[in-house]
Amino acid sequence: MSKSNLKYLLKIFFLFIIISYTTDKIVFIILNNISDKVYSGQSIGKLNQYLQIKDSLDMVIFGSSRANHNIDPTQISDNSFNMGVDGRQLAFSSTLIKLLPKQKKQLILLHIDPVNAFSKNYAGNDVDALLNKYNRNKIIAKEIDRLKQNNILQKFYWSLSYNRIFFGILKNYFKPKYDYKNYSGYYPIYPTKGQQKNLKKILKQEKSKDCSEHYEINDIYEYLLDEIQLFCKKNNKNLILFTSPVLSDNCKKDNRLFNEIIKTKGFIYFDFSDLFEQDYSLKYWKDETHLSYIGADIFTQSVRTIVEDNKNKISSTKKH
Amino acid sequence: MLFNSIEFGVFLLIVFILYWFVTNKKIKIQNLLLLLASYLFYGWWDWRFLSLIIISSFIDFTAGAKIFSAKRKKERKNWLLVSLISNLGFLSIFKYYNFFAESFSELMNIFGWKPNDLTLKIILPVGISFYTFQTLSYTIDIYRKEFRPTKSIISFFTYIAFFPQLVAGPIERASNLLPQIEKKRVFKKEWFNAGFIQILIGLFRKIVIADTLGMYVDSVYGNLEVHNSSTILFATFLYAFQIYYDFSGYSDIAIGTAKLLGFKFTQNFNLPYFSKSLTEFWRKWHMSLSFWLRDYLYISLGGNRKGIKITYRNLILTMLLGGLWHGSSWNFIIWGGIHGLVLSIEKYLNSSKLLLSIRKIDAFGYLITFSIVLLSWVFFRTQSLGSAIFTIKKIFSLDYNTPFIGDINTLANAVVVLAIGILFDLYLFNKNISLENLGAKFSIVKISIIATLIIILINLFYSTSSNFIYFQF
Repeated sequence: MSKSNLKYLLKIFFLFIIISYTTDKIVFIILNNISDKVYSGQSIGKLNQYLQIKDSLDMVIFGSSRANHNIDPTQISDNSFNMGVDGRQLAFSSTLIKLLPKQKKQLILLHIDPVNAFSKNYAGNDVDALLNKYNRNKIIAKEIDRLKQNNILQKFYWSLSYNRIFFGILKNYFKPKYDYKNYSGYYPIYPTKGQQKNLKKILKQEKSKDCSEHYEINDIYEYLLDEIQLFCKKNNKNLILFTSPVLSDNCKKDNRLFNEIIKTKGFIYFDFSDLFEQDYSLKYWKDETHLSYIGADIFTQSVRTIVEDNKNKISSTKKH
Repeated sequence: MLFNSIEFGVFLLIVFILYWFVTNKKIKIQNLLLLLASYLFYGWWDWRFLSLIIISSFIDFTAGAKIFSAKRKKERKNWLLVSLISNLGFLSIFKYYNFFAESFSELMNIFGWKPNDLTLKIILPVGISFYTFQTLSYTIDIYRKEFRPTKSIISFFTYIAFFPQLVAGPIERASNLLPQIEKKRVFKKEWFNAGFIQILIGLFRKIVIADTLGMYVDSVYGNLEVHNSSTILFATFLYAFQIYYDFSGYSDIAIGTAKLLGFKFTQNFNLPYFSKSLTEFWRKWHMSLSFWLRDYLYISLGGNRKGIKITYRNLILTMLLGGLWHGSSWNFIIWGGIHGLVLSIEKYLNSSKLLLSIRKIDAFGYLITFSIVLLSWVFFRTQSLGSAIFTIKKIFSLDYNTPFIGDINTLANAVVVLAIGILFDLYLFNKNISLENLGAKFSIVKISIIATLIIILINLFYSTSSNFIYFQF
């Protein structure tokens, strides 16, 4: 290769690196400025709201959509927030829990699911929903790195933080979905006729499921649970684990075994899978795992009861 | 090793440096580097199947030489048969054995005989369909006296295994690629520019457009029973673009990569949805395959030289086999059959001048062609014949209520990136620009700015990688 060609390649290489690096930082800063003002929507608004109020809360609910749509925290505590987010599991919740203040006494309600706990494939991928804070929050960056869910290019191209949430941020910046000051994080579902029709179709087609015979708790899942427990013990947090109702569950063995494992570890755990066992009315459901606002109202009351019971337990233990 | 992986980026950088800076003095060493790099590239997926490529290459290298040197016609034919039987034999065993065994069992079931399970646990070697066609073109061209065999085994093995086109094409003819392998390559700035830009556009098409569309398509096709006609039709529409951007994106990366190394591949896609007839569509879609089928199958069957009826038969047969080439299932055969049938109808209408008057209205031609292609994609996307028929029935059941939206963020991303893709294609179409040459004349500053723009778009919109659709073929 001639010297002129080599020079050409080096020029193009360095120019591309410089322009792309600089542009990336400009895009990142602009998006930071915009996204910091967004407090509505699931893409980033809910997370921003959580980060703003987390230190003052008395109670926080964590988990997936089955926490997000199924529990109204205001019915349990006046100063509370539901930080459940659709599609997220334990790695996401565990990272957010670790952001809570060290000494403030807080109650944590964490939704967990035996099916996920026994999953062979769970690798903590759900923590990637926090990538938008990767370059700005050390605790989040550490957790993402530890779970090996970061993009190797993230350290160079920071705009990767806003991958796939760009439109969500813009939409909520220009037209917020709700007034966040009155938002408790709870997202009730009002099933449409189409959803109800679909649910009926699904239930008609449903055949008996093959139950998984894998009853070994996933290593990452177990590790995360242990870490949450340790964090709560050290930092004045009361932790209650729960599983929300499902419409029909033929496989009971996983729930039973999970209950045993989790209680051996010293967790307080409540399995509400069969809460509606006596009344399968479809008005309580949007689909097989998500409650309608009516079902969520009933479920919230059950959670409230266990919270109150446990408050007494905790305080009586402390008195003794 | 996937083109859209970090490993491939590192691999390509190392090969590029060794290729132009270390081994560039001697062409033999440069070719040896390409061969070793190609085997590493393939072995990254499964090193066991390297032996298959090596055996296949060796047979065709020998067969090519023997066909060329044979004095009698019969001897030439026998060596061609050795090549055909061995290549198609490997393909049949690895790709079609289970399909034929299952189909045989099902047929026997109809007559009340239940044979034992004849299927075997066979892994389909990646790219076997592509490199088989490539090796066949070599021996057939020599048999037809259209090409002289190479004397260098390294050159030939490199031609078969050359990593940019090894697993999913373009299916390069020996007449195009082998002379380039045997000739000293010179670094050209224009080629580097064009290749670099084409790789980035290919990446954008694949990991931004195709994978984003795929998220919506998968959510609908994964649960067909619960969706209405409008949802399934919309998902099929998106799938048409998913498969186009997935495969054309792959081809762009392959062609661009080859250009970085000083090779010019044939164009594989040329804005196929801007076609006024299915005949035109096949001149623009997966061009390396359609021209291969035309030259080695359709013409071998007699083409249009043996009367109109035989021409229709040849067209349908070629497309049926073309369908089967894509995958071992009835869905692909029917997909090919639909295309063959419509191509025959077009040929008939052309001969009766009827189509010409219809085609004068451009929009009509585009619309009809796209509709036929769209409907045939149902057979491509669904997993079984039953599922395809169910989907078609659903589409025509006229349950046209509001389509399923799912995750609004995903859908918004899908619509916007698709719009970017279509607008870019429209720009190329209107300006009559070939993507292959787009970046050639760009200045250093312009190329850096455009590359930056693409990178930022990829960063903001890319979807977590999934396999290229055509890898399964």
